[in-house]
Amino acid sequence: MIKIENLSHTYQNRGIEALKNINLEIQKGESLVIVGSSGSGKSTLLKAINRLVEPSSGRIFINGEDILHSPLEKVYQIRGKIGMIFQNFNLIERESVAQNVLNGRLRYNTNFNTIFSRFSPEDYSVARESLSMVNLADFKKERVTDLSGGQKQRVAIARALSQNPEIILADEPVSSLDPKLMKEIMDLLTNICRKKGITLVTSLHFLDFAKRYGTSIIGMRNGEIVFNGCSADLTEKDLINIYGETEDWHLYGKTGF
Amino acid sequence: MAKLVFKSRYRKLLIGLAIIVIYYWSISGTDTNPINFIEGIPFMIDFVSRMFPPDVSNLGKFLLKALETLQMAIIGSTLGALIALPLSFLAARNVTSNRFIYHVVRGVFDTCRGINEIVWGLIFVSMVGLGPFPGVLALAAHVTGALGRYFSEAIETVDPEIIKAIVSTGANKFQVIVRGIFPQVKPLFINYAFYYLENNFRAATVLGLVGAGGIGMELITSMRLFRNQEVLTILIIMVLGVAAIDRFSAYVRKKIIRIERLE
Repeated sequence: MIKIENLSHTYQNRGIEALKNINLEIQKGESLVIVGSSGSGKSTLLKAINRLVEPSSGRIFINGEDILHSPLEKVYQIRGKIGMIFQNFNLIERESVAQNVLNGRLRYNTNFNTIFSRFSPEDYSVARESLSMVNLADFKKERVTDLSGGQKQRVAIARALSQNPEIILADEPVSSLDPKLMKEIMDLLTNICRKKGITLVTSLHFLDFAKRYGTSIIGMRNGEIVFNGCSADLTEKDLINIYGETEDWHLYGKTGF
Repeated sequence: MAKLVFKSRYRKLLIGLAIIVIYYWSISGTDTNPINFIEGIPFMIDFVSRMFPPDVSNLGKFLLKALETLQMAIIGSTLGALIALPLSFLAARNVTSNRFIYHVVRGVFDTCRGINEIVWGLIFVSMVGLGPFPGVLALAAHVTGALGRYFSEAIETVDPEIIKAIVSTGANKFQVIVRGIFPQVKPLFINYAFYYLENNFRAATVLGLVGAGGIGMELITSMRLFRNQEVLTILIIMVLGVAAIDRFSAYVRKKIIRIERLE
């Protein structure tokens, strides 16, 4: 499904090596969780997959197509099949829930219709369906501003779902929510993906979450993959490799092991 | 420590001296003279007394001309805003990566804005003749420059994370601008456009001085014919008109800004 070969990235302006020679294969329908402390390269890796970050070198194949060396039109097409969810939801706050979800259908819309916010009946029905999947069917006319954090993230999930994605990238999707909502959102997201056979790649801070929701886990540190396997394989030594020797294990949820 | 105190005193003295020099230079250059002003007060009283009572025999005509000024302001502002809107995206660094286009469009905005409405009025009167139409063009030209600059600066402040979210759906660049950037700047744009409607009504009243239609043209005619009582009528209409437009525009802008703050 996703194949990453020798991927490296250096942020030019800061000279930081965010990714160092990453090799990774992600199978269809898998739920992969990336763990690691802040600055380990989790987010850069996710954003490289749909080319929101232009990596310095390496190759990324999505269904056999090299997204880094494709013409722009092809890139749009590949991105259309990859939904993305962000830590801060990244919704247009002053617009309605429906308008935000319909943005997931832009790939299927013409420029002319986009100007007048016109979408096809199919776009509307897909958007409606996505909203009911996240249990927000009755909220389509609400402004995003008026929603709670958990509801906002559900709108963002609906936006991603309305793309009819094969892959969903979730960049710390629950980091700005309270613990109860964290679980609720992760349950919702993983259940929908399992049901629809969507490949899910999530970056998370907490180990117990990674263990609960990931069919496989990779651990990153300083731009390198230092662990790649399933949660049962994760040993004390691996944890030290990922997070370093730390007094603050409780912050990462090691208690769950 | 002592050195620091000395330094800051020295600096204050220098700044004070500079201010005095600048004011002396400006006052002597402009013959600004309070004695001249005080000696002129009787002439002013004489001039003003000849304006009373205001002559309202042509009131209907003047009011129609004031409405013409309002029409000029509406069309001029709208035209300017419509031209500035698409161009402003070309003058925003986060949208246009091409430095050449960016600088050319910025240059166009600076030129449009740098030339005063009155001067634009003179140019367009010589182009399309007397009347309100050259006035409309003059307002539009100046507003294009002003709004173009404000619009493009607003675009440069949008949240790049939201843009990323729209990009990630597979939208093309045009769609990202329309659905990702524009909704973020829309309230600001409307706010600025209304501010310029207000501004343009004021500017339009003086555009008549160069023959570009509206109530200003009546003012200059009455002044030339020494119909001082008519001049007063016209001035009253102008002041009330400006006040009314200002209030209306401020009311609308306040509503828009309030919505924005809630978010």
